[in-house]
Amino acid sequence: MEPDELMRQLSAAVVEGNDSAAASLARNALAAGIPPMTLVKQAIQSAMDVVGERFECGDAFLPELILAGDAARAALDQILPSISGDDMAAARAGTVVLATMYGDNHDIGKNIVSAILSTYGFRVVDLGINVSPPAVVEAAAREKADIIALSTLITTSLPYQRQVIDLLKESGRRDQHFVIIGGGPVTPEWARSISADGYGRDANDAATLCQKLMAGLEPPLPEPLILGALKH
Amino acid sequence: MRNPPDIIEVLARTQSGEYCTTKDWDTRRVPGAVRQMLQKHGLAKTCDTQNPCNYDFELADRFYQAGFELALELGYHVLDTQRTVKVSREELQNALKYAPSQVFVGEGKDGTLIKHRTPGDPYPMASVCSLGITNSEAMFPLITLGIARERAVDILEAGSLITLRGHEVLSGTPWETLLGYEHARMHLDIRRKAGRPGMGAIGCISAVTEYGQFGAYGTPGGFRTTDLALILFPSELKIDYRTLHKVIHTLNCGGMMKCDSPSMIGGMAGPPEGAVICSIACALLSYAILQNTVGGGEIYDVRYLANVNREGLWALSVTAQALARNTHICSHIIANQVSGPVTASLLYEIAAGVGVIAASGASMSTGPRSAGGKLNDHITPLECRFMGEICHAASGISPQHMNEICKELLPKYEDRLKNPDVGKPFQEAYNVERLEPTAEWEDIYRRVKAEMIQLGIPMDEF
Repeated sequence: MEPDELMRQLSAAVVEGNDSAAASLARNALAAGIPPMTLVKQAIQSAMDVVGERFECGDAFLPELILAGDAARAALDQILPSISGDDMAAARAGTVVLATMYGDNHDIGKNIVSAILSTYGFRVVDLGINVSPPAVVEAAAREKADIIALSTLITTSLPYQRQVIDLLKESGRRDQHFVIIGGGPVTPEWARSISADGYGRDANDAATLCQKLMAGLEPPLPEPLILGALKH
Repeated sequence: MRNPPDIIEVLARTQSGEYCTTKDWDTRRVPGAVRQMLQKHGLAKTCDTQNPCNYDFELADRFYQAGFELALELGYHVLDTQRTVKVSREELQNALKYAPSQVFVGEGKDGTLIKHRTPGDPYPMASVCSLGITNSEAMFPLITLGIARERAVDILEAGSLITLRGHEVLSGTPWETLLGYEHARMHLDIRRKAGRPGMGAIGCISAVTEYGQFGAYGTPGGFRTTDLALILFPSELKIDYRTLHKVIHTLNCGGMMKCDSPSMIGGMAGPPEGAVICSIACALLSYAILQNTVGGGEIYDVRYLANVNREGLWALSVTAQALARNTHICSHIIANQVSGPVTASLLYEIAAGVGVIAASGASMSTGPRSAGGKLNDHITPLECRFMGEICHAASGISPQHMNEICKELLPKYEDRLKNPDVGKPFQEAYNVERLEPTAEWEDIYRRVKAEMIQLGIPMDEF
């Protein structure tokens, strides 16, 4: 198959959310000699941009976004071992460990954040719902997370966000991970009070926030970055 | 003829039903089945944003049929066991046949008779105030008393507490069991202080997990079994053992329940049309699987964190009409606002959302969700009064007339939905000692109410 056709098919597989096809096409494209960074930028990232735009316009919905993210990840898993040095940083925006806090079973906000972060090139480790603070901290260490993103829709689960930061401090690892927070009852004031590194009102804010944090900043920040603050 | 499954059978099915991962349920099973139903019934792209309150009843009936079939096709996914609880056609039909068509909530002259309604039905839709907006411990008794005193409020839900005697309460711990009890005890005490001891209630909004519910509902001095137990569960079409703990506790107490779960426009159900059939399916299954007493019909729009936008209003109207015309259940639908107290936008958003729900035949509505429910103490009794007045006055308005009213209302607030003015907290919107709104807030209320009367909503004159 011609390189252009391989690129087109890989891009289409990501848009369609076909993870097995995306992985297979990525392997074939590498074998055909297409440079890995060309695949990342011109096939995978551009495909995720298409899906992201469709979501914004209301032409695609959360399932399509999630499946496209899975397909992009499957392709990247094949491609990334072939990339080294500076190119690796360009290919992978960063690793985010994401969770809905203990006591809270709401997953839709977290799922949207997960999907949108994937479209921005982040590797997302989604721990799911009802996750305890120790489990978040352990996963962040295991996955070498750049960012810990914590969601809750439940006010009585808010203190668990602070417990994650406390555990990081107590274990001497607060400088290893940014901590960002969001969800229904979460406010900029709460983010400041628990010394989080960032707050985003919605999923797009979360993605922009992660990009800003990964642009040369080091945790912990003296003041959280606030995106989408409510108008008083 | 098969009766709906009893709770023992439901529990058994949570362990023996078909295996499906949550990921597969969310990304393939639900979206695939929804797409299939939309196509089969010719419902794709039927959302009409130029007519935000649907009045094509044949369309609503087709949505009902699609929702009924979706309920049979999917059932509920159980998060704890990754299995599916399904019901047969006969079980679902019988559950709906035996579901109550009217329910008396509360006691004596202070109680409220909630009845099944139809589109344009003059029987008043019951108003439940307020949604679970967090209250500080200092303000909770004042705000709740103010709401309970509002005669346009039929049933009291109130805000939620997050601290107990200054201590942070942690979800899923004994703190929550204790908070549930304290919340319920204060709630009953406030109803008595307001001179409405028999006023019906829904609780417990401070109870997130089953622990809070165990502390609050059916306990001596807490929520009574003549009140409705609040049982919320995850979307789309998902339950967990937390949900079933609450259901079984309510049944053990001999109580009544209001089970609800919202469908999300933009989420797993996809477009507004998909959210409508998911919401209908979810409502129907709640009667067959959870032995629901009242409720069903919720829809949110994940893109706006609200549902008083055009697509949201349309979806609310179709869902309410579909359930009203094809069942005898008492549906419950929430209008989600984003603006806050002391803004005219909040009142316009209430009028449009609650007006559409009432005109379309829902039996009850809880609200308002002032400032999107996001900020502590951002709720006042005055917008609860306004909501109650709209619940009652918009009952009897035809969906077609309500559609014309919405066309006038939407331009007054829709530009601000993504960047709302969250207004002022209770302490700045009210004279706290006298429990009276500030002149500024009272003036806004009077002005908007006069506008509503001019638009054709028959609210009482001042």
